[in-house]
Amino acid sequence: MDCKQAEWLLLCAFDGPAEDGRRAALRDHLAGCPACRAKASQYGLIRDVLKGSADPGPLPYFRQRVLAKLKEQERTSPVRMWLKWAHRAAAFSLAAFVLFGAGVLLFNPQEPLELTQVETLFLRNENPLSDAASVLDQKGAEDKSMMLIFASADLPRR
Amino acid sequence: MMDERELIRRSQKGDGEAFGQLIERYKSKVFKLAYGMIGDRSEADDLAQEVFIKAYYALPKFQFRSEFGTWLYRIAVNQVRDYLRKNRHRLDELSIDELGETIPGVSGSSFEERQLADKRRSLVQTALRRLPDKYRTILALRDMQDLPYEEISRILAISPGTVDSRLHRARKKLREKLAAIVGGKGGDYGL
Repeated sequence: MDCKQAEWLLLCAFDGPAEDGRRAALRDHLAGCPACRAKASQYGLIRDVLKGSADPGPLPYFRQRVLAKLKEQERTSPVRMWLKWAHRAAAFSLAAFVLFGAGVLLFNPQEPLELTQVETLFLRNENPLSDAASVLDQKGAEDKSMMLIFASADLPRR
Repeated sequence: MMDERELIRRSQKGDGEAFGQLIERYKSKVFKLAYGMIGDRSEADDLAQEVFIKAYYALPKFQFRSEFGTWLYRIAVNQVRDYLRKNRHRLDELSIDELGETIPGVSGSSFEERQLADKRRSLVQTALRRLPDKYRTILALRDMQDLPYEEISRILAISPGTVDSRLHRARKKLREKLAAIVGGKGGDYGL
């Protein structure tokens, strides 16, 4: 066993003892290698301190102190309390908005289309130029002008 | 005793009594993690309180996709890392002797033995403080809390293989730091 393998085994010992064969090989190596012996001693100390770490436990009345702090925070900062529920409120608002949008799209009554007079005439299968033709067919220029004036006076009503 | 799921559900609805029971169940674990990474009882107590307060406000987002304990540990790890980042300089200035006072000694029968045990503990704590946060965290979770690799991998969001290699590296680095602190006077500490 070389020093690298020995150190690997020393590291693995943190998670549990190695099998007997390997342990014996490590023991032999340590007996003849002062550097690895020093490492083994240091790893041993680390393991003992970390694993058997004295745990003094939290200070007394831990639960009461946390709950009191929470109450105090909620009293002094309603915004924080609001934030606690904000994500629910946001999801609810989004759902309401989507529902409202869908409702508007589905149930919005369409305004009836207003047809122009030409379209109405086409719909009735009539010639939309027949009115204009009667104006243009007038012989006298004065009659033609008069009829055009009357026709234009009618336009806004159409 | 009420089922943990029920306690969580009630706490999510703002039931302080139910949340109090959750605190009771997890306070030692959270405190031990903070204490293991910081080494100061009063600071660890403050941090553990902060962890529970954070958890309370984050509870409505907890959707039972992981164990509550794992979720809480994740908050605790982030909280302690944040604390370490903000207080790095102050913590670095603490001397070995100051640290010795914060760590209660329990082992050994005679006064000398207790003193030596305290000194050793202080040395390891000092070496721990000089490690990068990621190594300190993994040592606290595995070697102090004794959590299984799978749970550590879930808490830190890394693969079990990475847990294994990081853990080996952390232990190795810790020993190197310890050797650097002890220097030539390892004999004084029985090293």
